[in-house]
Amino acid sequence: MGKSNLFVNGTKGDKAIVLGNEAIARGALEAGIGYASMYPGTPASEIIAVLDKNKSSIENLYTEFSLNEHISLHGAIGASWSGIRSLCAMKNVGLNVASEPAQFLSYTGVKAGLVLAIGSDPGAPSSSNEQDDRWYSLHNYMPIMEPSNIQEAKDFTKDAFDISEKFSFGVVLMAPSRLCHNAGTLYFGDLRDRSEIKGDFKKDPENYLNLFGMAVRNHAKYLERNELLKKYLIESKFNKIINGSSSKIGFISSGVVYAHLMESLDILGVYDHKILKLGFTFPLPGELIGRFFEGLDKVVIVEEAEGFLEFQIKKIAYELGFKGAIYGKEFFKQTGELTIDDVIVGISNFFEKPLPSYFDFAVKKDKELRDKLPQRSGTFCIGCPHRATFYSILKAVGFSNTEGKEREAVIAGDIGCYTLGLLPPYNAMDFLTCMNAGLGIGQAISIFDKQKKVIALVGDSTFYHSGIPVLLNAVQNGSDILYVILDNSWTAMTGHQKTPSTQKDIDGKPSANVLNLKDLVKSLGVSYVKSLDPNSVKRFASQIKSALKEPGVKVIIAKRECILQEARRNKILNKKGSGFAEAGESLYEIQKSRCVKCNECFVELACPAIILKKDEETGNDYYYIDPASCVKCGVCCEICPNSAIRKVEFDLKTEFKLRQRAEIKSAEEVPNEVRINV
Amino acid sequence: MKKFNIAIVGLGGQGIITMGTVMKNAALSSDLQDVSGSERRGGAQREGYVETFVKYIFYENESEMKDPRKSMHSPMIESGGADALISLEPLETLRGACYINKNSIVIFNKTPYIPISVRMGQTSYPEISFIVSELMKITENIFYYDFDAISLENFNSLTQKNIIALGALFAKAVIPIEIAAIENILKIGKGSENNLKAFKLGLKL
Repeated sequence: MGKSNLFVNGTKGDKAIVLGNEAIARGALEAGIGYASMYPGTPASEIIAVLDKNKSSIENLYTEFSLNEHISLHGAIGASWSGIRSLCAMKNVGLNVASEPAQFLSYTGVKAGLVLAIGSDPGAPSSSNEQDDRWYSLHNYMPIMEPSNIQEAKDFTKDAFDISEKFSFGVVLMAPSRLCHNAGTLYFGDLRDRSEIKGDFKKDPENYLNLFGMAVRNHAKYLERNELLKKYLIESKFNKIINGSSSKIGFISSGVVYAHLMESLDILGVYDHKILKLGFTFPLPGELIGRFFEGLDKVVIVEEAEGFLEFQIKKIAYELGFKGAIYGKEFFKQTGELTIDDVIVGISNFFEKPLPSYFDFAVKKDKELRDKLPQRSGTFCIGCPHRATFYSILKAVGFSNTEGKEREAVIAGDIGCYTLGLLPPYNAMDFLTCMNAGLGIGQAISIFDKQKKVIALVGDSTFYHSGIPVLLNAVQNGSDILYVILDNSWTAMTGHQKTPSTQKDIDGKPSANVLNLKDLVKSLGVSYVKSLDPNSVKRFASQIKSALKEPGVKVIIAKRECILQEARRNKILNKKGSGFAEAGESLYEIQKSRCVKCNECFVELACPAIILKKDEETGNDYYYIDPASCVKCGVCCEICPNSAIRKVEFDLKTEFKLRQRAEIKSAEEVPNEVRINV
Repeated sequence: MKKFNIAIVGLGGQGIITMGTVMKNAALSSDLQDVSGSERRGGAQREGYVETFVKYIFYENESEMKDPRKSMHSPMIESGGADALISLEPLETLRGACYINKNSIVIFNKTPYIPISVRMGQTSYPEISFIVSELMKITENIFYYDFDAISLENFNSLTQKNIIALGALFAKAVIPIEIAAIENILKIGKGSENNLKAFKLGLKL
């Protein structure tokens, strides 16, 4: 058989276009991992997703979408102690949750190699903060590797396992979203024999029992191991000095920002300066930095965020007695993503050189245009049950955009697809920070401000992540809050990983161990629990209203599956010839004669399938349901106060075929597998 | 070393990332060729702004390919650094205009997707004539079509508009990648027949 799937079967000599996250996963595979886990989080999700998707064709590989990062890293530690090389991945903020196992990992050490791949998110396009997780290593001592491109993402990950074993640390592989979601050329390496991967836990009380004096001894041991690693890193292949000509200026950088730096220098035509590329950004060996400093009187550190390298290098410079000047954050911003533009501008400013004219023109033109362009924000998919949930909640608490009415209740937000409800036109969140902060903060507000009704929102995956103790806490301490669990059965935002609520996989196979959420909530001591379909908007809104009148903790489960998964499953099952789509088909339409453009569907519900059209004859605008986008959820039909939206049934097969265009404008229609299967 | 940078912009769900993937895969035939380029995905932001970059790199020789000062490429395109811009939404063409220069080729889709702020009456959607005139201040090589309509008409679905636009790019710009290389990629995977047909439709524009 040919190599139909290079991710699984590729060997030395093969190359393909691979996503950064997939390159990390492939590196782990080449290193012979037997365990891979994560709690899904953008931008890191594909690291474990690609392994999970292919696991049936990979011998002795265990994959897990854990309920949270704390459990996931502990799982990786358990696998490592059983002699299994293990990969754990998470997004930047995930390390806050996993910081406890991460802290202990240096004390106890690993057995088989353990790599923690972290997808950081500078600029926070997919996160609720842009924290730089590298700072954790100053006190948990996890070594940090930072690949700069796709090839290094794979190679570094592979090597990280050897280093992890050699120095008994869990090694952090840091990948910002620009690397996670970069796709470029990857040259494959060989795979290790996987037949021997087998767990064998060997007792090691000296290292694994970490308390009292034993903890103090372990503390001393890891400081010692850290010194050994530093020594190793003076000559390692990971940190490279590129010598310059006679220039007394040197640049230090790492990761993707190093790639920005090298291309910026090329764009600016600057080639004569010394460069230090750091593959390991923790620990930094003084001797290596000292060697780089030789002959230099100015050093420029090019990095993202607050200056983790600058912090360490300035300390080393002080200890070495370096007399030159060290620059960093004077030229490169501390917040937001550091883009290639920022690096070009920073370097030009440092050399006091003018910017290339084409670049300068483009930057100025963009500034001039930006103010003229309407902002665009993401929103729920067409047919998403969250849209109906938000609409109902907002109606129940008296909110209206068109009538300019503010809502009466405090609404606590949380992390997931439904976070988009904080954007216009819903503006349905008063605060949003981390996972399960909604109920955590909301329950306390309900105790201290008795004048206001408090509603906290959470998704099923976020609830299972760490919401159960918060709910129990709210019950035990007598808070007065309505908790709405938006249960769409999937961790949808990160690419649809299963949750304990997932009833059926997309091929229709029923899940094992499905949890009864209502029973779970009841067992925590909540007496007011209702579970209903949010797409029945009127019923749902009136349920919210009645719940708000009750004292104590109330839970309403908005139970309806993610529309994307429902549509995908239907498509798969149809293909198998269930005949399901051949039955009568329906279409929703707005009757021009009845529509008074009250904006209930167009602005309040704001379904993107309802669009504005111009009547060619009269020149008047009218609202129109685009049949190519509508997924026939029927919510608009239910909410229309003028009964202007009607359902039209079609029984003619030909008519149906004309009408049934795209179910959902899915981006992934076209060759999904091309990326790997070349 | 020669480079050819393509920026692709549009909305979540329009097939932007797929276009980038197809184009990058077409760059695997030569050893002296490299490709880079990141995607801006941003969670599940349906209808939000999405962009992806395709950066083709052609080395003169092996020693250049091994030169650390030449062989590391940013995943991003700098302002004004794109040789071509494809946009699947008219307004977003202007958001992506930061990447183009006076020699760039611009291909954009005429079908607007109205942002929420316009729906709510807070802002207005620019006329196509405004979009074109603003682009003309940067480059004269501007081509726009109703890719949504072409896709609907030929496939009864909107999903092929990205591949049609890709064909249009190859029709209008001199891309240092062979058309056959793109077609070879489109032959693999789901829906290859429609993809090839869509690409050919674009080539004829």
